Amino acid sequence: MKYALFMGCKVPSQLPAYEASTRAVLGHLGVALVDLEFSCCGYPARDVSRDAFVVAAARNLALAERAGLDLLVPSSCCFGTLRHAIQFLGEDAGLRARVRQALAAEGLAWSGSARVEHLLPVLAREVGVDALAAAVRAPRTGLRVAAQYGCHALRPSNVTRLDNPMAPTIFETLISVTGATAVDWPRRLDCCGDPLHQANTPLSERMTRAKITDALESGAEAICTVCPHCHLRFDAVQAGSTDPGIRTLLYTQLLGLAMGLPAKSLGL
Amino acid sequence: MSQAIFQTGLYASLALCALGLLWRVSAWFRLRIGPDARAVAPWQRLVAMFRGAASALASQRLFRILGTFFLDVLLLRRLFADEKLRWLAHLLMFVGFTLLLLMHALAPLVTAKLFPGYQPTLAPYLFLRDVFGAMVLVGLALFLFGRRRQRTALPLLRRPIDSAFAALLAFVLVSGFLLEADKIASPRAFYRMTEQFIGTNDPARLEPLRALWASEFGVAFDDLKAPIAPRLVEEGRKLHRDACASCHAQPASAFVSYPVARLLAPVTGLLDQAGADVWLLYLHLFACFLGLASLPFTRFFHVLAAPISLLVNAAAPTREFSAAGRVSRRALALDACVRCGICDTHCVVAPLARYLDNPGLLPSHKLVGTGALASGRLLRSGQEHDGLPEEALRAAEGAFLCTDCGRCTSRCPVGLDLADLWEAGRGDLRSAGLPAPAQWVQARPALAWAESLEADPLQHILSDADASSAPLSADRRSFSRCVQCQTCTNVCPVVAHSNDIGQGVDLTPQKVMNLLRLGMRDLTLGSRMVWDCANCYQCQEHCPEGIRVADIMYELRALAVQRLGAVRSRGEAS
Repeated sequence: MKYALFMGCKVPSQLPAYEASTRAVLGHLGVALVDLEFSCCGYPARDVSRDAFVVAAARNLALAERAGLDLLVPSSCCFGTLRHAIQFLGEDAGLRARVRQALAAEGLAWSGSARVEHLLPVLAREVGVDALAAAVRAPRTGLRVAAQYGCHALRPSNVTRLDNPMAPTIFETLISVTGATAVDWPRRLDCCGDPLHQANTPLSERMTRAKITDALESGAEAICTVCPHCHLRFDAVQAGSTDPGIRTLLYTQLLGLAMGLPAKSLGL
Repeated sequence: MSQAIFQTGLYASLALCALGLLWRVSAWFRLRIGPDARAVAPWQRLVAMFRGAASALASQRLFRILGTFFLDVLLLRRLFADEKLRWLAHLLMFVGFTLLLLMHALAPLVTAKLFPGYQPTLAPYLFLRDVFGAMVLVGLALFLFGRRRQRTALPLLRRPIDSAFAALLAFVLVSGFLLEADKIASPRAFYRMTEQFIGTNDPARLEPLRALWASEFGVAFDDLKAPIAPRLVEEGRKLHRDACASCHAQPASAFVSYPVARLLAPVTGLLDQAGADVWLLYLHLFACFLGLASLPFTRFFHVLAAPISLLVNAAAPTREFSAAGRVSRRALALDACVRCGICDTHCVVAPLARYLDNPGLLPSHKLVGTGALASGRLLRSGQEHDGLPEEALRAAEGAFLCTDCGRCTSRCPVGLDLADLWEAGRGDLRSAGLPAPAQWVQARPALAWAESLEADPLQHILSDADASSAPLSADRRSFSRCVQCQTCTNVCPVVAHSNDIGQGVDLTPQKVMNLLRLGMRDLTLGSRMVWDCANCYQCQEHCPEGIRVADIMYELRALAVQRLGAVRSRGEAS
């Protein structure tokens, strides 16, 4: 197994622990990661121009293609954006032509051969739950966590094809492997509020708070994340707040701990 | 050269340079960048600077600052990490020029004091001067070569004055080499010296010396018969030892000027007649004075600002600075930027900048735009109508598309905290009425926007492009199946939470779809629902008719940016 790691923009500067723990865990599981100098997935440009966002996404797909690799994306938002770009490219010949022309200026080409994969299915299906279970040395028995998928990993399901969008189980399965317990929380499929942070801060905070309260009331000790946007939003809303809080834990950190990897290598 | 002209030129250019430096440095305490800058007065910033510098120098941080001085300022470590060719070019120019300045330009003050026997015509100075000069020229050539290669990729910021300054630097070097070559080859210079040191310029009496200097010192006498007898040369050598050798070595070690002198040999007579040694000296010195006087006003001011910025960085990270210190640091960053464009080549939104044809997304351009906004230039630029200047709008688009990935900050060869500068710049843009689209669109009610659109004669031109840029909302088939079942509204977290916080949405997703069905798309573009949509895709996932509600929301926002933006830029919405 060999992938081009698409870490996105947020992680290297604001959540380096996600990159560190992803590399540590996947390294131990035999997933080889290759670094290409990717650019923005296009997510912020969706509000400005569909063409521009697809060009930005396609550039990354083309880079991976040139290297003959598929993309492994640990960020749900980047993952959804890249998958959307593929969908738009597939259904719109005019767009395809414009994108190809834009990429050609850089000597790149998109043909669609590079797959875009989210971290969760790579772990659950390619590495496999059995291999993960075999790698667990220090199960986190008794730890209760709330699984936060991230909207763009799940929906729209015809684009992301991650799991059943109404009742997904893949993340909970992966949590169980570590020995921890995935709590059932009513708001688990809700938006974390991050996309609205700039546009409408009070509304965004309300949405984040609602999820935190729900996770606490459901008996979770931590919210377990696979998207830097969700993760950083939960942290930001709780920073400096006196309201009851909950810690956030990256799934790669949870898995790494269960595998007995040193906390420092996981950015903890 | 007359001493009076030299001194007038020197002092005038020194005075201009000093005034320029004062003006530029004072900007570090005057220029207000960021919303927090309004709270601190220039004197407070000056005090903060002295206080910060004193506490840093009196603490253990001094060692870090010293380390930075050697590794980053003198050896350009950060540039080495990223761009080896450019590092070499810069190091050659920097070291060559500094040594040339100390050994050659400031010879009476530096070299003559350190080495009492100093004469510019002695070894090793003859050789070293050419080494240092060649270093600068080679560095300059490598630098231009690197730029040429880079230019194909992204637009670089360049002002004519900066190119002129680079040309001036090259001119100083080339005129210096030519002057030296002319003096080596010139019989006139030879006779001037013999008159001074031997007391004669009679060619017959000087025949042996002329033979030696013609064959070994490169003087191009046009009246000397070849071949030169070896006996005459040996005789000349004795005379040379007695009268010349104490301050004149063989110029062959000047490995640039000497070959040039040999090349000039056929025209040396003409050059002597034209008084080339005098006007070449004037040109050389005048170019130096011009360079000195204009230095503070060009990009080359970074030779001062960049080292200071690096040392300030070593003192403490931005977050540990006082508010007053942070603000000054931003103003310093504007001057410390060397416009190398390394940030641009690594910028994650560079592909967007290219496609949107807006260099305002690129860090180097953003830096200049941030400064222009702070100094008031940006809002004055091209303001021929009531609307906002095109350049300001493009700067704002760039600022709000930045993903804060931090690559520019981590790659910057002078270690600027660009992340802090962008954050401050966005604050300034908001205060100047140039916020992110979500804010400027929602500053007016949806209905007002729709009316502006209706009254706008240019909108139909934009509408024609919708089919390609917003295909879903332009095609009835993508929403006509809507049965108004309200499932989208019922699953929408924005609708639910907006009610919770007492600011219910103006439209619901289902109403947005209905307006599209009624052909009233313009009414949706400025609506809170469209702009507060979190794009969580619950609506789209749940729609029993398979309508791509969230995808359409994205399209409506992009359409709004484009079409309401056109209204706004013409000032019809103010």
